[in-house]
Amino acid sequence: MQPRTSHPSDFGFQTSNFITRRWFLRDCTIGFGAMALNNLLTRDGFGATGPLAPRRPHHAARAKRVIYMFNAGAPSHLELFDYKPELEKRSGQLPPADLLKNYRAAFIKPNSALLGPKFKFRKHGASGMELSEVIPHIGGIADEICLIRTMQTDAVNHAPAQILMNTGNQNFGRPSFGAWTLYGLGCESEDLPGYVVLTSAKGTSGGASNYGSGFLPNMYGGVPFRSTGDPLLYLSNPAGYDAETQRASLNTLNALNHISFTGQGDPDIAARIQSYEMAYRLQSSAPELIDLSDEPKHVLDMYGIKDVKQPGYARNCLLARRLIERGVRFVQLFHEAWDQHAGLTKGVQNNARDTDQASAALVKDLRQRGLLDDTLVVWGGEFGRTPMVQGGNDGRDHHNRCFSFWLAGGGLKRGHVHGETDDLGFNPVTPPVHVNDLNATLLHLLGFDHKRLSYRVQGLDMRLTGIAGNVVSDVLA
Amino acid sequence: MKRLPLALLCLPGLAHALDFNRDVRPVLAQQCFTCHGMDDHGRKGKLRLDLQASAYGSGKSGEIAIVPGKPEASELVKRILSTDEDEVMPPPHTKKVLSDKEQNILKQWIAEGAKYEAHWAYTPPQPSRDPKAGIDHFIRERLEKEGLKPSPEADRHTLVRRVHLDLTGLPPTPAEADAFVNDQSPQAYEKLVDSLLTSKPYGERWARRWLDLARYADTNGFEKDRPRQIWPYRDWVVKALNDDMPFDQFSIKQLAGDMLPNATPEDIIATGFHRNTMLNEEGGIDPNEYRFYAMVDRVSVTGTAWMGLTMNCVQCHTHKYDPVLHTDFYSVMALLNNADEPTYHIPTPDIKEQQKALADRIARLEAELPGKFPGGEPAMQQRFAAWQAEERGRASSWQVIRPTSMKTTMPHLEQQGDGFILGSGDISKSDVYDLSFKAPIQGVTAVKLEVASHPSLPNDGPGLTYYEGPIGGFFLSEFQAFQNGQRVKITNAEATNEEEEDKINDAAAAKPTKKAARKAASKKTNNAMATLDAEMSSGWQVLGGYGQSHAAVFHFKKPVDLTNGLDLKMLFEKHFACPLGHFRLSVTTSDHAEATGLPLEAENALATNDPTKRQAMLRTFLETAPEMKQAAAPLIAARRQMPRGQPTLAMKERPSSNPRPTNRYHRGEYLQPKEVVPPAVPAFLPSLPKNAPANRLTFAKWLFAPENPLTARVTVNRQWQAFFGRGLVKSLEDFGYQSEAPSHPELLDWLAVQLVKDGWSLKKLHKLIVMSATYKQASHRPDSSGQRDPENTLLSHAPRFRLDAEIIRDSALKAAGLLSLKMGGPGVYPPQPASVTSEGTYGKVEWKVSEGEDRYRRSLYTFTKRTAPFAMATTFDAPTGEACLARRDVSNSPLQALTLLNDQMFMEAAQAMAKAVIAEFTDDDSRLTNTFRRCLTRPPAADELTMLKTFLQKQRAQKLEGEALWTSVCRAVLNLDEAITHP
Repeated sequence: MQPRTSHPSDFGFQTSNFITRRWFLRDCTIGFGAMALNNLLTRDGFGATGPLAPRRPHHAARAKRVIYMFNAGAPSHLELFDYKPELEKRSGQLPPADLLKNYRAAFIKPNSALLGPKFKFRKHGASGMELSEVIPHIGGIADEICLIRTMQTDAVNHAPAQILMNTGNQNFGRPSFGAWTLYGLGCESEDLPGYVVLTSAKGTSGGASNYGSGFLPNMYGGVPFRSTGDPLLYLSNPAGYDAETQRASLNTLNALNHISFTGQGDPDIAARIQSYEMAYRLQSSAPELIDLSDEPKHVLDMYGIKDVKQPGYARNCLLARRLIERGVRFVQLFHEAWDQHAGLTKGVQNNARDTDQASAALVKDLRQRGLLDDTLVVWGGEFGRTPMVQGGNDGRDHHNRCFSFWLAGGGLKRGHVHGETDDLGFNPVTPPVHVNDLNATLLHLLGFDHKRLSYRVQGLDMRLTGIAGNVVSDVLA
Repeated sequence: MKRLPLALLCLPGLAHALDFNRDVRPVLAQQCFTCHGMDDHGRKGKLRLDLQASAYGSGKSGEIAIVPGKPEASELVKRILSTDEDEVMPPPHTKKVLSDKEQNILKQWIAEGAKYEAHWAYTPPQPSRDPKAGIDHFIRERLEKEGLKPSPEADRHTLVRRVHLDLTGLPPTPAEADAFVNDQSPQAYEKLVDSLLTSKPYGERWARRWLDLARYADTNGFEKDRPRQIWPYRDWVVKALNDDMPFDQFSIKQLAGDMLPNATPEDIIATGFHRNTMLNEEGGIDPNEYRFYAMVDRVSVTGTAWMGLTMNCVQCHTHKYDPVLHTDFYSVMALLNNADEPTYHIPTPDIKEQQKALADRIARLEAELPGKFPGGEPAMQQRFAAWQAEERGRASSWQVIRPTSMKTTMPHLEQQGDGFILGSGDISKSDVYDLSFKAPIQGVTAVKLEVASHPSLPNDGPGLTYYEGPIGGFFLSEFQAFQNGQRVKITNAEATNEEEEDKINDAAAAKPTKKAARKAASKKTNNAMATLDAEMSSGWQVLGGYGQSHAAVFHFKKPVDLTNGLDLKMLFEKHFACPLGHFRLSVTTSDHAEATGLPLEAENALATNDPTKRQAMLRTFLETAPEMKQAAAPLIAARRQMPRGQPTLAMKERPSSNPRPTNRYHRGEYLQPKEVVPPAVPAFLPSLPKNAPANRLTFAKWLFAPENPLTARVTVNRQWQAFFGRGLVKSLEDFGYQSEAPSHPELLDWLAVQLVKDGWSLKKLHKLIVMSATYKQASHRPDSSGQRDPENTLLSHAPRFRLDAEIIRDSALKAAGLLSLKMGGPGVYPPQPASVTSEGTYGKVEWKVSEGEDRYRRSLYTFTKRTAPFAMATTFDAPTGEACLARRDVSNSPLQALTLLNDQMFMEAAQAMAKAVIAEFTDDDSRLTNTFRRCLTRPPAADELTMLKTFLQKQRAQKLEGEALWTSVCRAVLNLDEAITHP
C-alpha cells in the first residue's frame, strides 16, 4: 500500500478502490461457497487490508512500533531527571523577578520561594547520566536511554496539557499520536487491535481523548484493555455459552449472512462475516495474552511482579512487551499519579517505587529479545513542576517551561542527554524541545515526514504537529 | 531563462479544458492570494487576482496583469516566468515556488480566455425551469446519461422496514409490517408514511442527528467532567421536530431564542444549542481562556451546521481558498459573543404555583408566629421588652453608603434600588473591586459588608463562582480601605458565619465523602480576619444557595471622615474565579459596632429606639428568641426552599450597559488578542440588513434570508444524506471551493427551493424524499452498476449501510418487546460493564444501572458522559459530544461483533424475545419465523429456515432446551448483518 499523505476520502468501506476490489472478489467467489470466500476475502477486522492494512511510511523507518509510558500528573523533573545544586543552595529564596515575567502558574503566586530538590542524584553507566536516587533501575539502563531535559509545552493545566502531549493540540477532537501511527502504518496483528491502552493508578485528566481517534475514523483509536472484568469489553461469552456453542452460533450466523451476501451482492456483508471470525479469534488470543502464567519467574522478578493477577503498572509493562510481540503496533500505558502539589517527597518516592523497576525492566527485556532495535520506547508526562514551592515546604505547582522525557530504542542515541536547563531548572538554556518537536521526531523515527502525514478535515490538511515542529536531529543515532 | 514557445507549454496532463474552480482557483489561492487576494492588510502592488475586474486591470506598476486570451501580453505570465529576483512572482522571500504544472495551468487558463466562474454554492439556488423537475426526474436523467437503469421498487417487507427505520429509527413489529403488506389500497404506502411522520418516535430519531451537530452531552467534559443538566434542550429538539416547527424558526430559536420579542420559556430553553460547549473545571485554569475556546467552537459549529462553511480555517489566518478573512471569524464571533451564560430555571405554571404557595405559606407562618409564643401575649410583650433592652446595647445604627464610582478588573457592577450592588459578566481568578464613596458622615468606626442571594447569580449567589469551586459562593481574600491614596488601617473584622467558616472551604465542598471533607476542612482557616492578613490564600467566604445572607464588619483603627472620601478595595483570588455578586455596604459611627446577625432595619430600629419600626424589631425577636426556636423553625426553613423549576443551560443577551467587545486573535491564540472587531458576516455573502442591530438575532434571521445561498442547500443535503447514506454534496460540512461538486446540482437546488416554498417544513421534505421512486428502489446491486458506479453515487439502487448505534440498540429492544417509549427527562443508565466508567476516567465514576423501564429507554436518553461515553454507542461510531459531527463514520470491527454477541443488553433482548416467542407460538417453524421477522421484518426464505432449524437441532442435541434454547436462536438472529443494516 502507498504511504499516507493527505487522503480526504480514502477511508471507510465506501471508498471506490476498496469496494471495487471487493466487488471483484465477490464476482469471482460466487459459487465457491463460504469456505472459499473466507479464504479469498482479505481480513477487514484488525489488519491485512482496507483502512488498517499495513503500509509503507514516507522513508525508511528506524522503528516500527511504539510503547509509550505516559506518566500523567506531571512528574517532577527536579526530583527525578534534572539535578540542580544551585536550586538547593537558594532554597527558601525568592526567584529572580525577571524570570517571572509573563509566567503563567496554575495555583501559586509565581513569586514564591524556591525549593531545593528533595533527593540526591548520582551518575550512572558509562555515559555518566545524572539521575535521582529514587529511580535506581532507570539509572541501571542509563546507557540505553536518551534523556531530553528541555521539553516544553504550551498548557499549564492537566487536561489540556495531556491532550496536547498526546494529540498535538490542547482542544478536544484531535487524533492521538497512536491513532496517527496506526493511520500511517496500519496494523500488523490479525488477532489483536493495533493500538492498545493499559491504565494503572487513577484515570487521567484527559480521559479517553488521550488515546482517541479524533477526526480520524474510529478504528484508529486506542482500545483499552481493562483491569477489571473482561480485558476487552464483551470478550467473554454470556453465561451458559461455551466455545462450542459460540462456534455453532457463528457458523449459523455466517451461513445466513452468506445467503444474504449472494443475494444482495453487498461486499459489506462479507466484511461483517470476517469481523465475526476475528471476534472469535480474539476471544482466545486476548485471554492468552493477559495470562502471564507462562512467564518464567526471573522475568516476573525483573519487572517486580509478585502476583501475576495483580493489576498495576508493572503488569502493564510486561503486557506491553507481550502485545508488541504479537504484532500490536502501538501500546500506551497511562499512570496518573504524579501531581505532587503537596507531599512531594513521599509522593515521588511512592511513584518511583511503583514505576521505576518495571519501566527499566521493559527496556531490558526488549533489548534481550532483540525487539528494542525497532521499537520506540517513550517515558514522560504532560509538563514539569515549579522550582518554586507550593504550600509549606513539600510541594510544587505546574511548570510548562521545561521538563524531562526519556526515549529508548530504534534510531535513538543511547546514553545521551539532550538539552540543558538553567541553574534553577526553570528555563531551557539550549533550544527547547516543544511537544511538536518531540512528535515530529517520533514520527520521523517511524518513517514519516510529519508535514506530509495529514488528513483533510473541514478544508484543512490536519497534522499531528499542526503548523509547527522540527525533528530534533541531536537525539537521532 | 529560456522562454519556451507557448505551444510547448501545454503539458500532456493539461490536455483537457481547464475548469476554473477545479484547476485554476487552487493555484491562485495557494500561490497568489496571500498578497493579491481578499485580505486588505497583506495586499501588494494594489493588485487583486481573486476578482476578475481587478485582475483584468492594471496594478501599481501600470501593467495589465491578465489579458484574456493573450498570455504573452499578460504581466502575470511575464512575472511568474521571470528569472529576475526583483521581478519574479511569487517573490523568493515568500518561499513559494510555482511548479511547472502550476505555471502551465495559469498560462493555459489565460490562453483559454481567463474566465472567472462563480462558485456554485455562493449564488442562491434558482427555481428549476424544467417542468418535470423532481427527485426521480433528476436522478433518472443522470442515470440514463450514464447508461444505467434505476432498480425496481423494493418488496413491501423491505419498504416497510426501511421507511420505519428512516422516519422513526425503529423497525416495525411483524404485525405493523403485515398491516402495510396486506393493505391493498394504492394509498397504503402514503398512509404509512403519514402515520410515521406524525408518530412520536419520529422526533426522537431526527433529534439524534441534530444533537450530533449540537455536540450534546450530559457532562461538562475535561478532567472533572461533572454532570450538567441540559436535557430540557434535548427534549425541546424532540418536541420541535415532532411539531414540525419550520426549520428557520427551529434554528433562530436555538441561536437567539432569548432575544425574540416576548420570548417564552421554550424559546430560552432552545438557546441550549450553543451551551453544549464544554466547561473546564480543572483547578487553576483561566476560565476566560476556555470561554474563548468555547466561542471558537460556536463560530465553527455555526459554520458547519447552517452555512457549510469551514470557519475553523480562519480562526488562525485568512482562508486559503474560500473568500473568508481571518477577521471574518472574529466578526461572526462578535455576533455571537454578547451573551451571558446563565442556568435557566424553567418557570412552568406548576412551579409558579408552588412559588405562590410558598410565599403564602411564609406569610401565614409569619402572621402565626406571635400566637405561638409560650405563655401568650403578655409573656411575649414582657420578653420582647427585655430583649430590646438587651439588644439595644449591642446594636449600632448603620447607614447604607452608595459608591460614587465602581471599578473592577472584569465583572460588571450595577447599583440596585435597595443599595445593593449586583455583579454580572465575566470573572477571573483574581478580581479586584475598587469602590469609592463620599458622604457627609464623620467619625465612621466600621464598615459593614452585607452579602445576599440573588436569582440572577449562579446557584442564587451571593457569589459569581460558576465552575470548580462552590457554585454561587465567593472568596474575599483581602479587604482594604484608602483615603487619598493612603492606607486606612483596619484592625479587626468579624462575620456572622464565624462558627461555620472553618467548615466551609472549597475543598470541603468538593470532596465526595464526609471524611475527606473533614480532612480538607481541618487544613485551613477562613474567616473575616483572614481578609486583613495580606495573604491571598486565606479569606472570608460564603457558600452559594438560595436564601443565603451574611455580613462581615471591618473596624477602623481610628474614626474616618467620609466627607473626605473613602476608597474600598476588595480582592477575590483563588484557583478558581470567585468574586462577589450581590452585596451592600454601610457604615456606622457607633463605638461598639459588631456583626450582630440582626437584619439592618431591625438593628437600626433597636439602636435608635425608633418606635415606628416596632414591627421589624418584633419580627426579628420572634424569629431569634430561644423560646421560639421550635416555633420559628418551619418559617426559617421555608425561606430557604424556593421552588426554582428544572434548571437548564441557556443564553442571555447582555444588557446594553455591559456589551462584551470581541477582539481578533493573532494566529487564533488566546494570549494574542489584537484589535476589537465589529460584528459582521463575511463580505462575500449578502450583508446583514442595514435597519437592524448587528447582533445574534439579526444574524440568525439572516441565515434564512431569501438571498442567502447556503442554508437551504446545506439543510436539504444533510437530510438527503440521512436517507441515502451520502449527501448530494459529499462533504456535509463544507460547501466551499474545495468541496466536491454536487452529484446532482439541479436536484440539490430544486430541493432547496422546495424546502423554502414548503415553509421550511422538514416533514414535507422527508415525505417528498420517501415518496420518491428513487427512495423506494430495491437495494440489490444490479450487476451493471458495480464497476461503473461503485459508490452508487448515481443511485441506480437503494443503498445498504450499517445502522447508527442508537438504531441498532433500539431495534433489538423493540424486537424483543422490551423497548420503553417513555419520552424525555434526565439521562438514563442502561447496563454496561462497570469498567467503562471506573477505569481511565478521572476519579472513579460509578455507572448506577437504571431499574425498571429506564433500563430499556430509547438510546437518545442514555446519559452521555463525555470522558467515558456509553461503550456500545462508541463502538458503533456514535459521537462523544466533544465536537460537532456532521457525518458519522460507518465502521465495521470485531469489537462490534463482540458487543452484539456478548453485551448484557443484547443478551437481555435475546432472553426477552425467547420468552415472547415461546409464549406466542408452539411449533418450531412458527417460532423461528417469528424470531426472524422480529429482527428482519421479512419472513425467512426456505433455505434460511432450514439453516435455523439445523441450528436448533444441534443446540437441542447439546441438551439445550426451553428459554435457553430459544435465547441462543434469538441471539444468533439479532446478530445477522441484515438486522443492523438499512435495507
